[in-house]
Amino acid sequence: MSKLYNVSSSPHARSSLTTGKVMYQVIFALLPTACFGIYRYGMPAFWVIGVSVLSAVLTEGAFDYITKRPKTWMDGSAVVTGLLLALCLPAQVPLYVPFAGSFFAILFVKCFFGGLGHNFMNPALAGRCFLLISFSGVVADFSVDGVSAATPLETLASGGAVDAVEVFIGYGNGVIGGSILALCLGGLYLWAVDAITFEIPVAVIVSFSAFIALFGGQGFDPEFILVHLAAGGVMMGAIFMATDPVTSPVTSTGQLVFGILIGLLCGVFRVFGSAPDSASYAIIIANMAVPLIDEISVPLPYGLRKQTEKKKGIPRPALILCAITLLAGVCLSSVYEMTKDRIAEQKQAAKAASYQEVCPGAVEFAGDGRADAAIEALEGGVYGTDFGKAYINEAVVGKDASGNIVGYVISAGSGDGFEGMITLSVGISPDGTINGIAFTELNETAGMGMLCGEEAFQGQFAGVKAEHFILNKSGTSSGDNEIDTVSGASTSSQAVVNAVNAALDFFAANFQ
Amino acid sequence: MQMKTFKGGVHPADGKEYARNIPYRTYLPKGGEMVFPLNQHIGKPAKPVVQKGDMVLAGQIIAEADGFVSANIASSCSGKVKAVENRRTVAGTSVPCIVIENDGAYTLAEGVGKDTEEASLSCQEILDRVKAAGIIGLGGAGFPTHVKLAPKNGDEIRYVIANGAECEPYITCDDQLMRTQGEEIVKGLKLMLRLFPNAEGVVIIEKNKPEAIRAMEEACGKEEKIRVQAVHTKYPQGGERSVISVVAGKHLKLGMLPADVGCVVDNVATVRAIYRAVCKSEPVMERGFTVSGDGVAQPCNLIVPIGTSFSEVLEEAGGIREGVTPQKFICGGPMMGLALSSLDVPICKNNNALTVLSLDEAALGEKQKTACLRCGRCNQVCPLGLTPQMMALAAERGDYSRYEKKLYGLECIACGSCTYICPAKRPLMQLFKQAKAEIMAAKRK
Repeated sequence: MSKLYNVSSSPHARSSLTTGKVMYQVIFALLPTACFGIYRYGMPAFWVIGVSVLSAVLTEGAFDYITKRPKTWMDGSAVVTGLLLALCLPAQVPLYVPFAGSFFAILFVKCFFGGLGHNFMNPALAGRCFLLISFSGVVADFSVDGVSAATPLETLASGGAVDAVEVFIGYGNGVIGGSILALCLGGLYLWAVDAITFEIPVAVIVSFSAFIALFGGQGFDPEFILVHLAAGGVMMGAIFMATDPVTSPVTSTGQLVFGILIGLLCGVFRVFGSAPDSASYAIIIANMAVPLIDEISVPLPYGLRKQTEKKKGIPRPALILCAITLLAGVCLSSVYEMTKDRIAEQKQAAKAASYQEVCPGAVEFAGDGRADAAIEALEGGVYGTDFGKAYINEAVVGKDASGNIVGYVISAGSGDGFEGMITLSVGISPDGTINGIAFTELNETAGMGMLCGEEAFQGQFAGVKAEHFILNKSGTSSGDNEIDTVSGASTSSQAVVNAVNAALDFFAANFQ
Repeated sequence: MQMKTFKGGVHPADGKEYARNIPYRTYLPKGGEMVFPLNQHIGKPAKPVVQKGDMVLAGQIIAEADGFVSANIASSCSGKVKAVENRRTVAGTSVPCIVIENDGAYTLAEGVGKDTEEASLSCQEILDRVKAAGIIGLGGAGFPTHVKLAPKNGDEIRYVIANGAECEPYITCDDQLMRTQGEEIVKGLKLMLRLFPNAEGVVIIEKNKPEAIRAMEEACGKEEKIRVQAVHTKYPQGGERSVISVVAGKHLKLGMLPADVGCVVDNVATVRAIYRAVCKSEPVMERGFTVSGDGVAQPCNLIVPIGTSFSEVLEEAGGIREGVTPQKFICGGPMMGLALSSLDVPICKNNNALTVLSLDEAALGEKQKTACLRCGRCNQVCPLGLTPQMMALAAERGDYSRYEKKLYGLECIACGSCTYICPAKRPLMQLFKQAKAEIMAAKRK
């Protein structure tokens, strides 16, 4: 018998595409977004990206080394995770944030579940959610160069106007990877090289837009929808996160269902929830539904499909899912509609009570021409530059039965708290002394930030005449205008102080 | 010209440039052994009708069909029967073969090559002659042609398809055949159309063979019932199911025959063989054969007698290219061909090429293998709409009932597109073949 040659099962040809190449395609597609982020936010953005990528790669390398698994840290997948995570963060976060996020993403979500191909949810997104929960103050802080700035979504929520073109290009305030244009370019590239299918991004964007148009409260307003798409990483999620092959369904039908599920969940969270980061949670929840979606979306082979039927309708599971989510949306929105007036009434009553509380003796509260004009001029935007994300909502003059001015009340708010907006009414006597403050909206962490509403903290403002207050974090305040922080809740305390300072500043500018 | 294609498929490097413009030349071994395996076709192996020591002539039937689904085997040379014994064949297994000591004279048996006016023949006579000539699917499948030509619903056949797609990389013998023997192919197609009065003839050619398209269009001339259909260049365009989906717009499923959707599909070489058998009384003695690949010194298209060994045709093609260490010898092309462990095996009627490659991409892939990324590319390229990714998982776990019932794994035609495209280099095809073998074995019990 002569020499034996190599044998193997057919086919004997393989495409040049490898796992590594797939990863590098994604990295390449993310470059425009990353470059724009660095161009827009400067070196801080660069450092965030660098630390995040490095942390991801090193974590995987260390895990491979310690567990003696095959070395996979250079296959590019860790770089993708690090890069994606960094692009979801604001540029000026402290560098321990991207480090911790990538570490968590790679170690807990990827490595512990068996490494590449075995993780059940997108590591970068899991990392982001981990950061949102653990470091919500810094991760959701979008100030630029130390100056607080509202994200387009916040501006829109408070009634301001947003330039859609700016948002599209990426000049809205937000995360590093905020340029829709660059994201779309990357997505088109990935689609062109067959790295992603169009099903997921299109399904997400269409269903999300439809949901916002139906339940967003503004009808079909392209600008409004665009801002919603740009905010909170919806586009980033649709193009790069939801399409992560490992955690998305493998069949075309499954991908449509998956995309619609994300779009609708995202809409529900955005419209009815409090977190602006609806996309992250929506995708993670959808990730967990993937095995189920895969199972119900096994297609019939062509030969077994009904040959006469030419109809190419939307797959049944997609329809059912759509119906369920729409139903949920209708229920939620009708409950919202029914309770809206009641809630508004109650808010109004709470506000009136707080006015009364901080301006005793007044029987009537009237507007003031100059102050009203000043508030109008703010257009719902952030007040001043020294008060964080502070807002002035209303300013009124309190008069007694005979028409004499007994004090002023300014309703101010701050977006710097842990959980949404803090609003309070500041009562000021004609000579500038604070009568007291009263909260109208306070949803901080129970037992910590919520303690701001206790007399021990709140009472510190009463009876003080000062231009502004300083938060003393050591608990040894000496001057009248120093406020002792609520222990363990300096973020909430600072937000309150900022709001009061804004009110004082507004008072000085408009009533004196 | 309207271009059509099927859903899915891949675009492997086609390697046709090596031999596509090399015209046929006939290679006749001057002596030595010619080996004729008795199971060259699908169905029951043929029964030998010669014994050791018998003298045979070229074109003489040396083994007869055993039953309906079986085929005659003719000797391709004249000489003495040396043995009827087990020999190794392309599949690597040892099967009964007739071995003839070739005298190098190629003396024809009586009656072979005698012209017959086809108009004088009845349909039954045409079928009888096809059967006598031992024609099987020369494209590779090896299904006895006389069975294909006698479906129960002859009147319902709408399309008789001459398949010249030749989508398998490197192979160019059908291309050359269409360029040079277009007329005989058309004549063969006309003979087939006589059997199916309600059918039209369609010649399917991938558009990467413009010369063949032109030649076939010329050969068709003013034939009313025959047309040439150019199709996109995409693998596996030449697969029976792909061809039918393009021409008839219908999909086959497991257990269905092309006739069930009104189609008869035969390779162009088979169609020509029908003409030769009916009008020239010529059994299948020789065939077009491509020797190609980057490991061959002079890639070429040869006419070789059946039974010649692979090592001889490689010699005829100049042997191995200098400076190249071939890693793989493939009977057929790189997508569906069989890797040969030895070249000392005979060429059968349904073997169309020897491809010699300097790079074993399958072995390289084994080194680059990673976990499945679930990217879904395999699902996209599957020409049958299957889900190879899920099938592989089921097969790996040995969950064959899921493989068969939920995922329809047995529909797989083993085209290998999924394995080709997989970035993680999963050995999908191997898993599927194994799963199929296990399921079939369990069913036979």
